[in-house]
Amino acid sequence: MNWLAKLMILTCLCGPVLAAPAKFFPFPYSVDRLTNGLQVITVQSGPSDLAALYIIVRTGSRNEVEEGKSGFAHFFEHMMFRGSKKFTPELRDAILKRAGAEANAYTSDDRTVYHEFFAKEDLDAVMELEADRFQNLNYSVEAYKTEAKAVLGEYNKSNSNPINKLYEVLRETAFQRHTYKHSTMGFLKDIEEMPNLFDYSLEFYKRYYRPEYATILVVGDVPREQVLAAAKRSFSDWKRGDYAPIIPIEPPAQGPKTAQVDWPAPTLPLLAVAYHAPAYSDEKIDKAALDFLVPIAFGEDSDLYQRLALKEQKVDLLAPDFDAKVDPELFAVLARVKDPKDVEYVRDQIIATFERFSREIVPAAKLAETKSRQRYGTALEWDSPNAIAGFLAPYIGLRSSVATIENYYEMSERITPEDVRRAAQQYFTPANRVVITLAKRSEKEAK
Amino acid sequence: MKQMSWLVMALAATVAQAAGLVPQKMENIFQQTQAPLVTFRLLFQTGSAFDPAGKEGVTSLTAAMLAKGGSQSLSYEEITKAMYPLATSFEAQTDKELTVFRGTTHADNLDRYYGLIRQMLLEPGFRDEDFARLRSDAMNYLKVSLREGNDEELGKEQLYNTLYRGHAYGHHNSGTVSSLEKMTIQDVKDCYARQFTRGNIVIGLAGGFPNDFPARIKQDFDALPAGKFLSKLVVAPSPAEGRRVEIIQRETRSTAISFGFPIQVRRGDKDWPALAVAASFLGQHRSSNSHLYQRLREARGLNYGDYAYIEYFPRGMYLFRPDPNLARQQQIFQIWIRPVPPEAGQFALRAGLFEFEKLIQDGLSKDEFESTRAFLSKYAGVLLQTADAQLGYALDSEYYGIPPFSAYLREALAKLTLADVNEAIRRHLTSKNLQIVVVTKEADALAEALRKGLPSRMVYSSPKPKEILDEDKLIEKHPLHIDPDKITVLPVTQAFQ
Repeated sequence: MNWLAKLMILTCLCGPVLAAPAKFFPFPYSVDRLTNGLQVITVQSGPSDLAALYIIVRTGSRNEVEEGKSGFAHFFEHMMFRGSKKFTPELRDAILKRAGAEANAYTSDDRTVYHEFFAKEDLDAVMELEADRFQNLNYSVEAYKTEAKAVLGEYNKSNSNPINKLYEVLRETAFQRHTYKHSTMGFLKDIEEMPNLFDYSLEFYKRYYRPEYATILVVGDVPREQVLAAAKRSFSDWKRGDYAPIIPIEPPAQGPKTAQVDWPAPTLPLLAVAYHAPAYSDEKIDKAALDFLVPIAFGEDSDLYQRLALKEQKVDLLAPDFDAKVDPELFAVLARVKDPKDVEYVRDQIIATFERFSREIVPAAKLAETKSRQRYGTALEWDSPNAIAGFLAPYIGLRSSVATIENYYEMSERITPEDVRRAAQQYFTPANRVVITLAKRSEKEAK
Repeated sequence: MKQMSWLVMALAATVAQAAGLVPQKMENIFQQTQAPLVTFRLLFQTGSAFDPAGKEGVTSLTAAMLAKGGSQSLSYEEITKAMYPLATSFEAQTDKELTVFRGTTHADNLDRYYGLIRQMLLEPGFRDEDFARLRSDAMNYLKVSLREGNDEELGKEQLYNTLYRGHAYGHHNSGTVSSLEKMTIQDVKDCYARQFTRGNIVIGLAGGFPNDFPARIKQDFDALPAGKFLSKLVVAPSPAEGRRVEIIQRETRSTAISFGFPIQVRRGDKDWPALAVAASFLGQHRSSNSHLYQRLREARGLNYGDYAYIEYFPRGMYLFRPDPNLARQQQIFQIWIRPVPPEAGQFALRAGLFEFEKLIQDGLSKDEFESTRAFLSKYAGVLLQTADAQLGYALDSEYYGIPPFSAYLREALAKLTLADVNEAIRRHLTSKNLQIVVVTKEADALAEALRKGLPSRMVYSSPKPKEILDEDKLIEKHPLHIDPDKITVLPVTQAFQ
């Protein structure tokens, strides 16, 4: 290829820039609320035989404020599959099986999401199933204790990957009081204690499985009237609760903090460098400003990645992680280092990058390009009703709305390079920093 | 003598081709829609089964050099910079017989994206620094990620390696540590010239592309190295004889179990839909529909789940649906028992075998058949929920010489009978000859316990229904029928070496 063609490909702004559209989220949707406070959102995603039903409960491991109860929101998600008044687990399975449904759930820090994807003609049947378990969950002590072992099985299967341990220790070290201190899986000792907490599980259900904590989301080619009618038919009797946990406020960080993990099996060294960073907001710009630094400072096209992974080849994994959360969370960069003797160097380079963006202003063209990239990136995610529902679930968990997406991206559009630098300067400070290293025991001693 | 055997082989190949066993050259697939996205699946009918002896992993490494390396004009650094505003990437997947390069872009960026991937595939840079990086990545994947970061995937991949030892499928797609150590950039260049040719390319495109785009791609890809379509008959491996066990020893908290055996059924064969029903009933992937899940996880709390398969499904712990373009001439039947506490390892193995043997003996009931058939018929729509999946499955249908997957499956299921399924089970599934792979810490102790064949008592920390406890009494002493000479222990450092 000649130099001109090369120049054209490399001159980034020669190509289309996806200008901020009138609406960021292009699909028509409606938001309704039943008299008991249950929110019902219907999204028209275009012609499709399939519909996604997601029920978002605004409860996650963040809610585990009591000592010894870490991991319980996740465990309770499991219990939601153990039968309800009208539907035993076997009957539930049989109904979903005949519907050809993909049915599962997940728990994270701030939410628990129950999701099904099935032929749209089965919506009423699936809604009825959901309504019964959300209002009349019913399981025996034996079933409860048995399920606690399946949760331990989940812990066990993840345990062979040292990255899980790295994250566990990162959170534990970074947070003093806030419940983000423990992972969604929970501490092993709490998982092992779960079989003995049957009564607490009933209490947990009463507290959180209430209309004010939940949103029903249907994405597909299903009319709003049909969704609303099904929701009213099945969920109208659901009673409001009055429980609101007091989540401990994390005090200002007094770092830098470090920790080292001795891993019993052979592994390449792992490194996490993280800073306390802002919570999700569609009004304050800090989170949105720092979101731009995820690809700019640490993505594959960043100076750091190009140097460490491609030119110097000192890492075979370099990945940023900065989630949108209810409360302030961590902006982390994870690295897998190819040679133990390079761990300190890699650590220092990552820290230097955080500091660099606290001083240097991102060029305006780069920021504009990143905004365009962000829009293209989300458009690529919307490739099925199921994917669209999955995209919406976090926002519904955070703000009980779809409109927050518009607000967030509109606000993002107005962010300037100086905004980004100022946010970096505010948050990427030594006091906010946490560094965790993980290595096989003997290698660490050899250093 | 040499001439004679050449004639025999040629004759065998002709017969095989006539019988539809050897894959034909696949047709291009263009699925034009109004969508704002465009998906590419640029597929080559080649894979790790074509790796020359001593060069195990070269096809996969070559594919990586194309998708994750620089072109002649642009370094990989420049390519990642050029990809940045497009918010997308370019990925390679190498399996035994198919290598696919895939990526999706917004239609706005089609020319720029295609401009990049075109040169990556047609004008690869083969730079030394990319080779060093990607070879190191491949080795670390085997040595660190697979050996020491994922017990379940380790067990499954070792199962394949062991069942196919000495066979064209007998090494992991990424190769072996020792072959990668010796690999040179010339090996990669040779592989490209030999295997990534005009004769092997199949163009897959889906989405909102302009009308003239297919012609443009076809013309561009005429610039690939000249070469005829390379067909390769992959015969069945030697069948497993009796029950054999390999125990991989490593430092780990739990015990992971997989077992399986080669089957002679693939999509398009008369018995495939019947076996698909059987496998779905026994162990639908990550679903509480799975019978094994219901008996081992739900009733007993043994582990996080238990499933069964008749097609290769890598990365199953991260995915709800398999990646397309893993189509093969030869498949295995396998059962995946997710990690259990070590003290329950023997019992879990027995329980898996017990349920499997029951399936062979009793088959499905009418109810089980009807509900599973109904499930699969509708679930096909879930499998094909994205344009990318539809394209991928359409390419696989090309490979297997069958209609589009959804129609193929639904029509076959509509005609299927309970008797068909149970006969297919008896015809193709064996519990007598299978390979078991276990990953655990106390490997020698487990080997000893299996040799002795002593009962493995299951103790629960909470009450279980009588029906379960009664069944446990059978499972605990269920004969393992494992030849004591066929139990081997190997340190994990030997896996993929």
